[in-house]
Amino acid sequence: MSSLVNTSLIVSCIAMTVIFIVLTILIYTIKILVNLIPYEEPPVPKAKAKPASPAGGGPSPTIVAAITAAMATHLGKSPQEFHITQIDPK
Amino acid sequence: MELTFGDAASKIIGSTGFSSLTFGHVVMILVACVLLYLAIWKKFEPLLLLPIGFGCLLANLPHSMMMNTDTGGLLNFFYQGVKHEILPPLIFMGVGALTDFGPLLANPSTLLLGAAAQIGVYTTLVGAVYLGFDLKEASAIGIIGGADGPTSIFIASKLAPHLLAPIAVAAYSYMSLVPLIQPPIMRWLTTPEERKIKMEQLKPISQTVKIIFPVAVTIVCCLMLPGVTPLLGMLLLGNLFRESGVTARLHETSETHLINIVTIMLALAVGSSMTAESFLKLETIKIIVLGLLAFCMATAGGVIFAKILCKLSGGKVNPLIGSAGVSAVPMAARVSQKVGAEEDRSNFLLMHAMGPNVAGVIGSAVAAGVFISLFGEVGGGADHAQVVTEAISNIVSLP
Repeated sequence: MSSLVNTSLIVSCIAMTVIFIVLTILIYTIKILVNLIPYEEPPVPKAKAKPASPAGGGPSPTIVAAITAAMATHLGKSPQEFHITQIDPK
Repeated sequence: MELTFGDAASKIIGSTGFSSLTFGHVVMILVACVLLYLAIWKKFEPLLLLPIGFGCLLANLPHSMMMNTDTGGLLNFFYQGVKHEILPPLIFMGVGALTDFGPLLANPSTLLLGAAAQIGVYTTLVGAVYLGFDLKEASAIGIIGGADGPTSIFIASKLAPHLLAPIAVAAYSYMSLVPLIQPPIMRWLTTPEERKIKMEQLKPISQTVKIIFPVAVTIVCCLMLPGVTPLLGMLLLGNLFRESGVTARLHETSETHLINIVTIMLALAVGSSMTAESFLKLETIKIIVLGLLAFCMATAGGVIFAKILCKLSGGKVNPLIGSAGVSAVPMAARVSQKVGAEEDRSNFLLMHAMGPNVAGVIGSAVAAGVFISLFGEVGGGADHAQVVTEAISNIVSLP
């Protein structure tokens, strides 16, 4: 029994050493990879030129869409049947 | 063929399960009900304990032909997937498809925490040998400390198939208890100041590195420990599906349908091995106790090594992330986050803990590979356990 316990202790020491060696090799593999291939910011997509707003910055498309939906519900029409051309903030 | 009423009645009564029901069956049916209760009402790893419990229930209904040893029975076919080491690697493929190795790649030193946590495996190995198990059985029990169900099943089916049921149940039960087992050990081994340490934000990693990583790990680890290739190879193939960006359908299948289907088959197969003959033994109680020891030692090993890293780095590493080295993805990382947030609500450790957490998966697979190299039958059919024991005894003169 005691020799088996001793054997298991030796197996444990050997196994932990092997694990540390394997994972240390992996650490250096990763470090080499990360150094060789550094992270690069993905190219920022070019923003489309916005059409000039008459008031120098009118309501956002989300607000226009919300107003259109509310108007369509109120008038009982389809949103495609009318078009909002101007919003007076007053 | 003529049958009297009495003959027919006695034949029908004789064919029911009740006629063959033994005390062992009744106890195992109760065990199955306990597993179902824990899964459904206590939410302990329900995805696994529920089918394991139901498989156990089916296997212990006499004449049902649902034991893993019933040739031609449904669950006997499922069990072939465990016996021939098919199902655990497929689960690993799904795990790989679900895993983001980014935090590990951003802070590769955390791989050492995944290695340190394997101390639980080896203290349990020694404990199991002390309690009378042979080296193969002790290895299969010790791997519970890896906190990785598929790895535990893989090693048990290879080295100690007769202990598969208690090992699988212990592994999955304790994995579900990680949020209860780990925090007291983490608090006991760390000071409030250490728990408050805020770690630097992880740097982003190139997608090319993420693609090369699984290939590189496969080459390095599988060349060093060929026995672990089925597990680690599938884990990293699943991850390559995820990171390559060109196999969206395979990635989606691996991380959803495949892993779910295989989980059902694997858990039912494990449940079908939970018969009275294999489970109602003193060894089962020993394995349950040793499993708890394995988890505690693994947690302590990870935290202590993280404290060492903390000292060496000048206080840049929070020791709480060490406990995540026990695998059990992502629950162990969540525990690190929770215990850290208890001390300082503005401290976010989750992503830092994911590094050692996925390192624990690789670490436990490597630990399994070492066991297979020592006691398995890689490249030969001889009884390696005996050979290794004799070789070690010859090399090192023991008192």
